[in-house]
Amino acid sequence: MKATRRDLFKFAAGGATGLLLTPAPWRLVTDAALWSENWPGIPKPVRGELRTRFTHCALCPAGCAVKARCVGDQPISLIGLPGKPLCAFGLMGHQLPYHAGRVRQADADAVRAVIAKRAANETVAVLDLRPGRTASWTYRRAMAALPRGVYLAARSSVPAVNLDAVKIILSLGVPVLDGWGTPSNVQQARSHFRLIQAEPAESRTALLADQWLKIRPGTELELVEALATGRGGAGTGLNEKVIASVANELVQAGALFLAAEESPSVLELNRKLGAVGKTIVAQREAPVPRSWKPAPVTPINSVPERSIGVLLIDESAADSYVPWSKLEGKLAPDALVVTFASSQAGYGRQAKHLLPTAVYPESTGDIPPAIDSPLATFRLTTPLVAPPRGVVNPAQFIGGLAAIDAADALRERAGAIHAAGRGSVCTYADGRSIPVEDIQPDQFWKALNDGACWIDEPGGKLLPPVLRASTPAVVALNWEKRAARGPMPPLVSKLYQESNLRVRI
Amino acid sequence: MLMFGLYSAGLCLVKGLNQTNMDNRFAFGLWIFLDLTVIALGAGAFFTGFLLYILKVKELGAVINSAVVIGLVCYSGAVAALLVDVGQPLRFWFTFWYPNVHSMLTEVTFCITCYLTVLLIEYVPIVLRNRRLRQVPSFLIFEFELHKLVYVLAGVGTFLSFFHQGSLGGLFGVLRGHPFAFREGLAVWPSTFFLFVLSAAAAGPSFILLTTWLVSKISNRQLVRPEVLPLLGRISGMLMIAYVLAKTVDTLIWINHTSPGAGVPAWQYYSWKPFGTWILFAEIVAFGLIPALVLLTPRLRLRSNWLVSAAALTCIGIALNRFVMTLQTLALPTLSFDPFLSYFPSWQETGTFLGVVGFGVLVYSFSFRYLNLFPQERDLEQPEAAPVREPALAGRY
Amino acid sequence: MSARSYGMSIDIDKCTGCGACMVACAVENNVPPAPEGVNERKGITWIRVFRLDNGAEGVDRKWAFLPMLCQQCGENTPCVSVCPQQAVQLDPATGIVGQMPERCLGCRYCMAACPYHARYFNWWDPSWPAGMEKTLNPAVAPRMRGVVEKCNFCHGRWHAAKARAAAQGRRDLDPADYVPACVEACPTSAIRFGDLNDLENAPERGSFRLLEKLGTGPKIYYQTQRDWVREIAAAPGGTERAHG
Repeated sequence: MKATRRDLFKFAAGGATGLLLTPAPWRLVTDAALWSENWPGIPKPVRGELRTRFTHCALCPAGCAVKARCVGDQPISLIGLPGKPLCAFGLMGHQLPYHAGRVRQADADAVRAVIAKRAANETVAVLDLRPGRTASWTYRRAMAALPRGVYLAARSSVPAVNLDAVKIILSLGVPVLDGWGTPSNVQQARSHFRLIQAEPAESRTALLADQWLKIRPGTELELVEALATGRGGAGTGLNEKVIASVANELVQAGALFLAAEESPSVLELNRKLGAVGKTIVAQREAPVPRSWKPAPVTPINSVPERSIGVLLIDESAADSYVPWSKLEGKLAPDALVVTFASSQAGYGRQAKHLLPTAVYPESTGDIPPAIDSPLATFRLTTPLVAPPRGVVNPAQFIGGLAAIDAADALRERAGAIHAAGRGSVCTYADGRSIPVEDIQPDQFWKALNDGACWIDEPGGKLLPPVLRASTPAVVALNWEKRAARGPMPPLVSKLYQESNLRVRI
Repeated sequence: MLMFGLYSAGLCLVKGLNQTNMDNRFAFGLWIFLDLTVIALGAGAFFTGFLLYILKVKELGAVINSAVVIGLVCYSGAVAALLVDVGQPLRFWFTFWYPNVHSMLTEVTFCITCYLTVLLIEYVPIVLRNRRLRQVPSFLIFEFELHKLVYVLAGVGTFLSFFHQGSLGGLFGVLRGHPFAFREGLAVWPSTFFLFVLSAAAAGPSFILLTTWLVSKISNRQLVRPEVLPLLGRISGMLMIAYVLAKTVDTLIWINHTSPGAGVPAWQYYSWKPFGTWILFAEIVAFGLIPALVLLTPRLRLRSNWLVSAAALTCIGIALNRFVMTLQTLALPTLSFDPFLSYFPSWQETGTFLGVVGFGVLVYSFSFRYLNLFPQERDLEQPEAAPVREPALAGRY
Repeated sequence: MSARSYGMSIDIDKCTGCGACMVACAVENNVPPAPEGVNERKGITWIRVFRLDNGAEGVDRKWAFLPMLCQQCGENTPCVSVCPQQAVQLDPATGIVGQMPERCLGCRYCMAACPYHARYFNWWDPSWPAGMEKTLNPAVAPRMRGVVEKCNFCHGRWHAAKARAAAQGRRDLDPADYVPACVEACPTSAIRFGDLNDLENAPERGSFRLLEKLGTGPKIYYQTQRDWVREIAAAPGGTERAHG
């Protein structure tokens, strides 16, 4: 039979129809769909052995203990200890190394050479944005060793708050319920104290407080005066009966007055309320090796104008920022500003050089005690992941300028703590607490590196703090300001962008 | 327009639906509203077929071909828009393989696909009646055989159309989570099912009236006998008045019974600007009752201006109804801490919509140019055209 | 193994709006951070905390925070009945409404059907900043664009708990072993989770559910001592006073 064109067409038509009835074309469409789902590069999560590691969160001085669930060595989720939950930011801390605008490279050697040349004749100042660490001691030692070294702290040393004794808090704009102190401690103590928030703005703390005093902006100190002396206060916009009733409440035992600004009237009010020695106590510091010779802490205000030739800013773990306008005047006309940071967002705009640093959880360091911790503590943030290759360790860099080897500073400090023989070590993995005298120095160091925490012994009364006129009553950690400035983990978009829960300022 | 539309649609397919202004609250936007409206207006195809072949209203033979082409254009455009609208177009066949018998959308998908096939089959004879193609003997025989099936096709088409027009209404009528749209009804079908069928049947003839008149104006020829358009108007008017009555009863039941039963007093929906009660009156009275009454008045029907305006108002009323059921439903808050949100289509969405319109116009013009859409046209050709000597087999009809 | 009906009990008075639950959920379920320019209408937040305002002015103004997530509706589940390709199922063994992103067509009908707006569409391809993909949770598959996703009570953790129970030779999982990420992370324990069939998890007196009159049978029970909160939260249909 001759095959005609018609037969060919019939065969083709029949074949096409038949093919539609087989799974073949549908399978191809499904495969195409699967392929199209994956070609934009949806990443496959890495699988591996699941491990648990312990460290401390370095995002703020609360330094909460962190239990990291890891795949291999990479943390994939963080959680606090039972009864000591992490805050929203702590929960995404392991994603901080990947924040937008991360700076990774710089020529550290060139910068080191330039600084070394100038350090011989000019004033070198270190601005420490998280004072109280072992690294802070390294800076102070280095500045003491340099011919004209000055150590500046972003805030003066603050006393501690004894939350157990607090019955009523009057807070002048301090975000008590939103990132102050150790959040889990504040939450647990919440039912024991009454919170009066005096603030012009509608903050989260103001609207969750027991009472909100909506004062006019700029009248904070006037309120303090009115409460202290019983006179005045009309400028605040508050009813005088309200001020009187607050003043009455405050004189009862257990009052605490919190303010972010440094001012003598704040101090005076706390003295008058009898807070000093009861709810405000001295914050002790963990023992320090006796061989360390530090420079004093110089208040920024007392630095002569236009005197600083080289300004080194450690922004790697910043809690407080000093307004640039305050620093600018202290710089010599041709001053060299170098900042140690992981992003341009902070002082990067004003600095000549930005040397990249590691961020939590890549960094090694200790965390100063939290404001609500009267006892001295020593806890390390141990690196869970490796930092990028080009990063600089600010303590080692600055120490190196003064020929101080800071590589073992933490270990030396641990040694000094162990030698003092006080306190105990809490290991989270097994929940035990062992007195320091019962373990060897090596074991102590190892435990600290495995995420344990050293706590001083309570023994004896809590001492009243040595307060100077310029001491603020507290340090305020405002997450909105931090978010506006510093690097934030990418998932923070859930809070600021993808919902109306928080507002970016 | 078509090119711009293809570009817009391409962007949406390649970059993702973030090109549109739809969001998590406005899961449906311009395209769904467009699809519903266009399918309602394209109902003329099934309804004219039903009237002509089943009810034997002979005069409608003048417009049946045009109606089929309009239907084809409307449905294929709607299906194309839907493919761009879904997040994973390549998975379209999942509905056929894993159908969910409880879902109105499954019903819509099945019915529309079948109906599109029916429309394509109905389009084939129109194509084959082209003089050139008629010269191929196998086509001639094929077309002849197909013509015998026309009654079956009309019946099947009507049956399918009834269901999918209704299911499109059912899509929103079953939404228990949106008391604004939710209606009780008969068995599994909410009242919106039946209302949508009725309104589509009313809109169909009006839309055919409009398009015939428009094409006639543009081509400057008389395409149908003078009595055809008023007939379409009268049919549309009758259905429209029935629809307005049914819709009024349904709205009253909803205001007094259904909505309060879900915990929301009906006045609350209309307290959100800009959707005040004016929209309810506009939909039922201004664009519903009034054109229906005009179309039912014989004197006004014979006046072209009144007839066409009333038909246009009818079509707008149906579009407004679709808008209310889709976009107003989604705009209204359900939770107490929901705000009232607004939505405006992005240029990519508008572009795709224009692309569909462009596609429609192109196909229709192509059919008009090369195919015999209006059988009565030849009889109505102006006498002055006759003296012109034409070469044989000019290819013009 | 008896059928369970997992639900939650949320104390609005304990919620401080810190957002820890939102973050923990995104970390556990591999939800990507939003691309630039995305706002709260297109973002993906399986659990989202809303702010309620008592509407007073000045110092009398008070806030409350209400965590909102998929209510795992047990009756007339709106999203289950409307999905054209059965990509949503109410699991009778757990009471969890599960979503299959692999089968989802992206038609978004379920999103229109959900009165709680608890479903989220992937308007973009998910993208993580370079290196962050290392932090993804291997127990949960990241989704592609064009599909809908929603809270599933951390179903991956349920599977893991069952696997651990099976490894120990038990048929029933240990309740303490299956805790969704948001419950685990909440600093004030405002969110409690459990099998509603267990007596100790029965909803407290005075609990209310959202939009109860719609008849969807939600399994999230809210409590509050404050009347103004109850009035706003339980009222359907939107008010001018609340934001979030």
